[in-house]
Amino acid sequence: MTRKESRLSFRRIVSLIISLAVIAAAAATLRRLLAGDPLFFNRFEPTLVNFMMLSFLLFVVGVAGVLSRRNIIIIFMSIELILNAVNINLIAFSRYLQINQATLEAKLGSGINPISGPVFTIFIIVVAAAEAAVGLGIVISMFRNRETVAVDEIDLLKW
Amino acid sequence: MQLHGWEAVLFYVLAFMTLIMGVFVVTARLAVHSALFLIAALVNVALLFILLRAEFVAGVQILVYVGGVMVLFLFVIMLVQTRAEEEARVKLYTGQTWPAVVLALFLAVSFYFAMSPAQQAFRPADASQVQTADKGEASASGSGFISQDTQNVGEALYRQAALPFEIASLLLLVALVGAVLLARGSKQEKLYE
Repeated sequence: MTRKESRLSFRRIVSLIISLAVIAAAAATLRRLLAGDPLFFNRFEPTLVNFMMLSFLLFVVGVAGVLSRRNIIIIFMSIELILNAVNINLIAFSRYLQINQATLEAKLGSGINPISGPVFTIFIIVVAAAEAAVGLGIVISMFRNRETVAVDEIDLLKW
Repeated sequence: MQLHGWEAVLFYVLAFMTLIMGVFVVTARLAVHSALFLIAALVNVALLFILLRAEFVAGVQILVYVGGVMVLFLFVIMLVQTRAEEEARVKLYTGQTWPAVVLALFLAVSFYFAMSPAQQAFRPADASQVQTADKGEASASGSGFISQDTQNVGEALYRQAALPFEIASLLLLVALVGAVLLARGSKQEKLYE
């Protein structure tokens, strides 16, 4: 009973903090808009760096899942999240090269090949599918032998 | 590369949804819920690919991940489901949860502060300098235009990357046979001996 109450109050505190942050951000935006800054929205338009940040955050979420969960199937799903973060990065870089190809080739010489991003992404998807198939086969045979999918109970090789 | 107008709004919506769904994948109690959240995250990532004009990869993502890999995941979850995790007393996390969370937050914050100086460098100083290909309107590669991406990827796969393509097909065959071999039971093993 007490546990449920404390969890509820924790949720209330978090939602209060989030709503305060949203209100502060909206107020700051309104103030800048009223001041008439022409480049204000330009600052928030996503570039390559925003895609890299999204990719990194997704990667971090996946790593946290791999390190913290006990269920081996959810660990596999976290690995899929990590691979998707890499794919976002590759596609964003490919798009960046595609748009700036002329500028970059003037600077660095020819040899800029923006299509290698999607090609690598397709190979990553293929390898991820193969990895998932083999890994889930291992999970099934392990469950058949040990009756568990918790990674901290599968410790036969631990001394 | 800079997204404008509704594309920028769409990027933020999709990025937020992807991250939230990723967090739900990691924190959901039941593995089935986790798999459904992962499907939502993968669809969001596919939409981000479309935003980046990589339509072919977006289609492959939907077909292979959502249609193939996630169905495999759901099947295995239902084969292996012990229903133990529905009870509140069962531990979901290993002992290293708090170190992992602290490390993840530290990495995220440090990456943000490392990348935010670079952010201005990717942005033209005055907004009129934005290239036409980047504008997203009335240009050959703007929004509403089916890009040459599929054709380019197909040509690259069969010309420059022909050997890796064949190796990938071999890898898939090996993975298929390996998965069948690993997952068969002792009864089936006796049957073939």
